[in-house]
Amino acid sequence: MQAFIIRNILQRLLLLFIVSILAHSIIHLAPGEPSEVDPSNPRMKPEDIARIRAAFHLDDPLYLQYAYWMRDLFTGELKSFKDSQPVLPKIWRKFLNSLPLFICATLLIWTFAFPAGIHAAVRRGAVYDRSSTFVAYMLISIPGFFLSYLMILWVVDTFGVPVIGMRTFGMENAQPLFQTMDRVWHLVIPSLMSAALGVAVLSRYVRSQMLEVISQDYVRTARGKGLEEDTVIYRHALRNALLPFVTMFGFLLPGLIGGSVIFEQIFAWPGLGRLGYHAILERDFPVILTLNFIAAVLTLAGTLLSDILYAVVDPRVRTRLEGEE
Amino acid sequence: MNLKRWLLIAPFLLTVFLLQSYFWVPTYEKQATGNPKRLVTYIEGSIADAKILNPILNADTASSGIVSHVFEGMLDLDENLDLRGRLATDWTIMERAYLAVNPYNRFPDGAEVTGSRVADRITTALSRGQLPALEKIVRSVRVLPPERRTETVPVQVKGKDGKPTTVEVPVTLEVPERVAFSLTQVDQDFFTRLTPIIGDRYLKHFPYEQHVHMPDDAGSEIEAQIRSRFPELLPVAEHNPEILFHLRKGVRFHDGHEFDAGDVKFTYEAIMNPKNLSPRTSDFEPIKRVEILDSHTLRVVYKRLYSPAINAWTMGILPEHLLNEETMQREMETRGLSQAARESFGMRDSQFNRNPIGSGRFVFVEWDSDEFIHLTRFEEYWEGPPEYHDYYMRPLPDSLTQEVEFHAGAVDYYATLPHQVARYKADPKYQAFSSLGFGYTYIGYNNRLPLFADPGVRRALGMAINTEEFITYLLYGEGERVTGPYPKNTEWYDHSVEPLPYDPEGARRLLEELGWKLNADGWLEKDGKIFEFNLITNLGNSVRKNIMTIAQNAWKKIGVKCNPAIFEWAVFLKDFVNTAEFDAVVLGWSMGIDPDLYQIWHSSQAGPQQLNFVGYDNPRADDLIVRIRREYNRDRQRDLAHQLHQLIHEDQPYTFLYAPLGTRVLDKKIVLVNRLEDGSERYEKIFPIKSGDISFYFQRWRKLDFTPEF
Repeated sequence: MQAFIIRNILQRLLLLFIVSILAHSIIHLAPGEPSEVDPSNPRMKPEDIARIRAAFHLDDPLYLQYAYWMRDLFTGELKSFKDSQPVLPKIWRKFLNSLPLFICATLLIWTFAFPAGIHAAVRRGAVYDRSSTFVAYMLISIPGFFLSYLMILWVVDTFGVPVIGMRTFGMENAQPLFQTMDRVWHLVIPSLMSAALGVAVLSRYVRSQMLEVISQDYVRTARGKGLEEDTVIYRHALRNALLPFVTMFGFLLPGLIGGSVIFEQIFAWPGLGRLGYHAILERDFPVILTLNFIAAVLTLAGTLLSDILYAVVDPRVRTRLEGEE
Repeated sequence: MNLKRWLLIAPFLLTVFLLQSYFWVPTYEKQATGNPKRLVTYIEGSIADAKILNPILNADTASSGIVSHVFEGMLDLDENLDLRGRLATDWTIMERAYLAVNPYNRFPDGAEVTGSRVADRITTALSRGQLPALEKIVRSVRVLPPERRTETVPVQVKGKDGKPTTVEVPVTLEVPERVAFSLTQVDQDFFTRLTPIIGDRYLKHFPYEQHVHMPDDAGSEIEAQIRSRFPELLPVAEHNPEILFHLRKGVRFHDGHEFDAGDVKFTYEAIMNPKNLSPRTSDFEPIKRVEILDSHTLRVVYKRLYSPAINAWTMGILPEHLLNEETMQREMETRGLSQAARESFGMRDSQFNRNPIGSGRFVFVEWDSDEFIHLTRFEEYWEGPPEYHDYYMRPLPDSLTQEVEFHAGAVDYYATLPHQVARYKADPKYQAFSSLGFGYTYIGYNNRLPLFADPGVRRALGMAINTEEFITYLLYGEGERVTGPYPKNTEWYDHSVEPLPYDPEGARRLLEELGWKLNADGWLEKDGKIFEFNLITNLGNSVRKNIMTIAQNAWKKIGVKCNPAIFEWAVFLKDFVNTAEFDAVVLGWSMGIDPDLYQIWHSSQAGPQQLNFVGYDNPRADDLIVRIRREYNRDRQRDLAHQLHQLIHEDQPYTFLYAPLGTRVLDKKIVLVNRLEDGSERYEKIFPIKSGDISFYFQRWRKLDFTPEF
């Protein structure tokens, strides 16, 4: 098992290196210049632009630019083009903003998808199953931003409370409890909106997994033994249906970075997705590259985690790995 | 069954917890009644967050907005777009002019030229009234002794790797005797007016070779480059405009430190310091030196005639004591930076840019990136503190979100789109404004192409388009036609120029006269080629996209084939505009307030990455453009600008379309407060000034707790 983990980590480090080179070249080869050196800004003369370009190393060969980026990233002195602020603390602050949204949306997805999916599988073909299928496909096919706009307009018009941003403006003097609850309220709509698609997709998975397991022989055996239907479904069937979802936990990690670009944009949420989106629009290379790098690290760590988790929960996989050693 | 129960209870509990939070959030109405401070708090929605809060470094709209509140410039523009003193109480523009004595030259009467003779003859001519135009403006005439000095000249050479690099070449200048004139005002024709005395050949011939010495090992390439710069290194006739500023006394920065002439000089030096990478360098490049005469008097000497240069002083002034070398060293120490980082450490890296301290009417409090920037009023502001106590800027990256927040009352102001204004115009709760700004939209033709070389062709294309359609259907009426290159709300714009008529028949006749005949397929044809070109614009601007479609259709009616295409901004610039490989573009300009059009229209600015990308080239226009930027008399400048406007209109290098109106909506409760002497208040409706700006009197804005009737 240990050897398996070490080998995997080494492989992934190599992969990470390749990914970082690829990402670096693609981003630099894409057309467009950082907005700080935008030649169409009549306020800036070519000489000014040339000086700023030199300071950003924009005219050096790509491999040198890569080396500068890596050096600055690991010494912690990497600066954003946009405001010359250190990139890592900047990303960390935005990460802390994104985190509640991510946690809340994930909780919503996982708590709603399971009961909904299981119920649909158990009552296959019934009115509930069909209507939940209909709703799920509707949520999948309606673009999230469109639904969000409708939701924002409806909530603001009907309830007259602000929903944009992380908190209500002008509540700085309210009691801490009120302020906390205000922040929770501001979480509700964006996380609901970003969870909607997740619930729809995941509950479909749960339903099909359950259906597959329910038709297995051992479930019939359990029923044949005269066990209660609930015991059959929730103890015998659900456990085995859960297996593939263990791996999905690992894939949650990269969602931390790119998970909610659209929703952060619409709800003016000062998070990572918005940071990345604006960095791309402004060609703020250090920020784009670092976010991309972190996303790659998280993805690789996530897949590793799910491999390990899979081995832990599924004795068959574990035995196979140990057999290899 | 436990698991089943939990699977159902968990989502239920989560939902209840999330939704109950609604009851803790006050609706907007309650928030205002329980919170009287809301009335003296102004919240502005901005599409983007600020980048860098430093007047010499920022180049984006959001940052400039905040910077203009926190920092104050020497000058600003008043209601009529004239300059007005802020940190400077008044200023005088004078000139010092220098004429090099050319000993190989002779006076018209054959006498040899010496410094004292030039000075004497001119003084005598002045006293006899032979130079009437100069009598009033020459204050003194003086002869300066010859001098010898060394200057380093940056020259571009090819380096070892074939890339151009810059080397500094030392050049020795033998400056001959010079006659110095002190003038009470700037006169760009000063030296030409002297020709009756000094002869008309005097200014044209100067033996530079004998006065400029290059190093012997320079090589022919470098020598040629330096030779081309002789007139610049050693000008025969030199204009040095000067501005004498008197500064306001008793003005303090937000930290209590008193503002003085040292801060102005420091700000200028900070801009010119290459380490700071200021995008304003070119605005201040014409300055030769800044001299401090006393703590509140300052003289700025310019290298050459460039009248818009004074506008640069509207930029905010930095506090020297917080940004000088010593403070920067201390900041590097506290932050524990590495050697590599220290070497390139400039003002751009300082934490000052996130905690700015200026002398403007608002004091910076806090900046939470992507959330808000909070300012509070400066109680000791020299003009008295603003009516609003607090100012917030909220970045809301989406125009619908902005409107929702505005509607919920969590934003007082945002850049309203035309179709949104239409929604608020009828609502008695709001006041809507629409007024001219500094921008205009146009179709630009690549003047270099044979197809568009004839002004008649460009005129015909313009006549085939009904611009009124754009304004009515694309802008919801929020636009005005324009006929030339100046903003319509400035005095430079010539209102007597008639717009092109919408006349497709006339357009076709005009093209027929130029040899374009309709062929069997219905297209215009000449020499076997049909009239066909590509029209391009950038992605993401729906109005421009629609203009292309309407124009395509209009041209089709007269037999011109146009193929529209849209490209992402970066590609658009890189592959088409910068390389001049386009036929025609739909674009817009946002202009400044000065009449200098050098960058956009002068024929020397038509190279790659320059702004005259349509390649407009008219020697008469070039001459006017140069005269305008060298003219310091406003009336003459206006006449020249009108001539230029007419000329460009005749040439039609662009089809000038329209100037969009700036549209804004405010709660009607926001008014202008006038404080009367007896302590009472009188309210006035907010109105736009000449430039279209409604926030000129922002200082006096406040929100009332009732809706006033005007």
